[in-house]
Amino acid sequence: MGIPLSYTLRSLFVRRSATLLTVLGIGATVAIFAGVLALQQGFVTMLAGGGREDIAVFLRPGATGETDSQFRRDLGLKLIKQTPEIAQGPNGPLASMECYFAALKPRMDGGSVNVPMRGVQQTTFEIRTGEIRIVEGRSFAPGTDEVIVGSKITGRIQNCRVGDVLQLNTTPFRVVGVFESDGGAASEVWGDLDRFLATLDRYGPNRVIAKLVPGTLVGDPDAEGGAEPNSLAARLKNDTEVPAKVMTEKQFLLSQTKMLGGILKNLGLALAFVMGIGAVLTAINTMLSAISSRTSEIGILLSLGYRPLPIFLAFLVESIVLCLLGGLAGCLMALPFNGIETGTMNGNTFSEVAFAFRVNSNVLASAVTFSLALGVLGGLLPALRACRMKPTEALRRQ
Amino acid sequence: MFKLVLRNLSSHPIRSGITAVSVGVALFLVCVLTSIVTTLQSGLAAASSTRLVVMSSISLFVDIPLSYQEKIARVEGIANVVKWQWFGGYYKSQDNFFGQFAVDPERMFEVYPEVKVDEETKRKFLTQRNACIVGWQLAAEFPEWQQTGKIPITGALFPHPSGQAWDFELAGVYRSEAANFDNRTMFFRWDLFEETLKAAGQDPGVGVYVMSVEPGADIESMRAQIEGLFENGPATVRCDTESEFTRQFVSMLGDIPMFLGWIGAGVLVAILLGAVNAMLMAGREQTHDIGILKALGFDDATAFGVLITQSLVLCLTGGAFGIALAYVLEQPIALAIGSAFPGFFIQSSTYIGAGVASLVVGLAAGAIPAWNALRANCVEALRAKGA
Repeated sequence: MGIPLSYTLRSLFVRRSATLLTVLGIGATVAIFAGVLALQQGFVTMLAGGGREDIAVFLRPGATGETDSQFRRDLGLKLIKQTPEIAQGPNGPLASMECYFAALKPRMDGGSVNVPMRGVQQTTFEIRTGEIRIVEGRSFAPGTDEVIVGSKITGRIQNCRVGDVLQLNTTPFRVVGVFESDGGAASEVWGDLDRFLATLDRYGPNRVIAKLVPGTLVGDPDAEGGAEPNSLAARLKNDTEVPAKVMTEKQFLLSQTKMLGGILKNLGLALAFVMGIGAVLTAINTMLSAISSRTSEIGILLSLGYRPLPIFLAFLVESIVLCLLGGLAGCLMALPFNGIETGTMNGNTFSEVAFAFRVNSNVLASAVTFSLALGVLGGLLPALRACRMKPTEALRRQ
Repeated sequence: MFKLVLRNLSSHPIRSGITAVSVGVALFLVCVLTSIVTTLQSGLAAASSTRLVVMSSISLFVDIPLSYQEKIARVEGIANVVKWQWFGGYYKSQDNFFGQFAVDPERMFEVYPEVKVDEETKRKFLTQRNACIVGWQLAAEFPEWQQTGKIPITGALFPHPSGQAWDFELAGVYRSEAANFDNRTMFFRWDLFEETLKAAGQDPGVGVYVMSVEPGADIESMRAQIEGLFENGPATVRCDTESEFTRQFVSMLGDIPMFLGWIGAGVLVAILLGAVNAMLMAGREQTHDIGILKALGFDDATAFGVLITQSLVLCLTGGAFGIALAYVLEQPIALAIGSAFPGFFIQSSTYIGAGVASLVVGLAAGAIPAWNALRANCVEALRAKGA
């Protein structure tokens, strides 16, 4: 005989108050798990999702990111000149030196944050055609004390609207425009490289970005055993004049999400583990009670000729359905968070990054898998107990 | 009557155990989440309002000149000035994250009396040029340091001119009793730092100056005076009390502490639902027993009491288990999350809060079945099937 599935499903309905409480309890667990994952996904996809494969990022050898990479200006120029993999545009090589730092600025809702500041050369806009879209005002004029502000921070940070003044050291910078971008740039302030360097009294940029000739093999400078032998990363690492660490923009951005992304992921996993224990126990409780109040029914099933295995499976399925309903409830509870904007400090860059909860298919799939696991773990013991009952004894129980 | 409560609980040992354990696990989690938030706040509370910090007016990304130290030291009321520079290196792998700072060794101990080292450690740190001290938590994470006495640090921000790692000699371990000074940092000597870089033609700047002030000094006017000293450049500065300086870091975390609060609330809701469910099951099964009690002449209050006491016993046992679990696991957790949240510790008020929470959950979960028992009609209750 097959598994008495309709019996299983109907019994969930008969005991609806217990079912509802269990589903809600498991739902809350799954919702929290999904919420933390959504935060992690939002952060990683925002920062790394837009990274391009045809743009290379050049850092000083040994640097782990832009903040600890700094090199002399003449070396940057030399690097651009003698790297044939850099594509040529109408005005020369499509490469731009950029400086990066952060400015401590007051937030609209109190407290202050490190706002990322990027000094760029005009070639940056050629390399990023279409990526950086001015939505208000205009772009900054080269060589002037003007800046443009990413759209994600105009509402979060004070003095970031067109016409406002951002003071850096002794120099006032005027905000002349607001730009949109799908990536992390939307939480940055951009200005002229040379004006920023002069203000900071710094000697050179933090990185060079360049558009690559199609088909260039960049390689992974952080790979175990070094980058592939004939790649750009391998060659520049050992260059005698201008050694550099080079990677694609996509690789670079991924490496910048390690710390916060890792914290959020581990937080999600730790919560899932501890709360999962609680949820499994709740499911076991509900299933044990279901079985003890249906002992005589199990006796009837057994005397009708059902084998222990189908009975075991029936109760396991009941537990799985119970937890999947909980998973569904959890996903529904997590969905309203989708798109809510928030911001925190990115440990890798030590500066503020704004991003949104992203309840995407990855998150939902993880949540459903999680609730499935809860159902299996919660159902095993009670189902085992049900299928090992003796028909005569079970029938005798009232 | 209490005997009946215990009998009822032990008639379903698995369910009782499971309910208590799940309440315990949830309260353990609530303790840990709350403590992450309170740890951040206690750093704030412990930060001194009589120490001053000078940093670039732009942000910590920007250095301030070495020459400022003397000018600051001359300001009236300043007792001592120590300079700090963020080294930004790593030990073996970039994933081993902890802070390293170059500092003035003697002044470090004078400005931070709460940082304790033994005499031998102090003597080594003050006399050996490549000596360093590390917090005890960090030392516990890398036990090999104390065996070999050597700590090679790769300078990501300041590569060693030789192209190799910087070699530090471990002078000893420090222990800080104050919540605002974590035990997961490494300090080494400024003179080694400056001379090594100068030999290679680099000119290192200073990250922050931290000053202790003389008793009774007018902090506000000193702050204004120090900011005024450098207002025409080359690098303008801001001067904050240590507590304001620390507040910056907490506010940079943005909404994260709030999210942790929400998660804690979600956990509490989930256990409440689980406990309500278990108590409803118990209530249904004991309807018959309640009928007997009432037929025997016990009053409504007793019927109410039997059920609510069961719920309280379950939840308080669970709560005690959760609190004990948090207490035992405090140190391992502190080590595990040290890189993200240094100085993690559980305040006694958190334990009290967890106890109160388990009391509230117990009352709430027992309320519905106990109320049903109170209202139960003796005859109908007797007709109900017993378990």
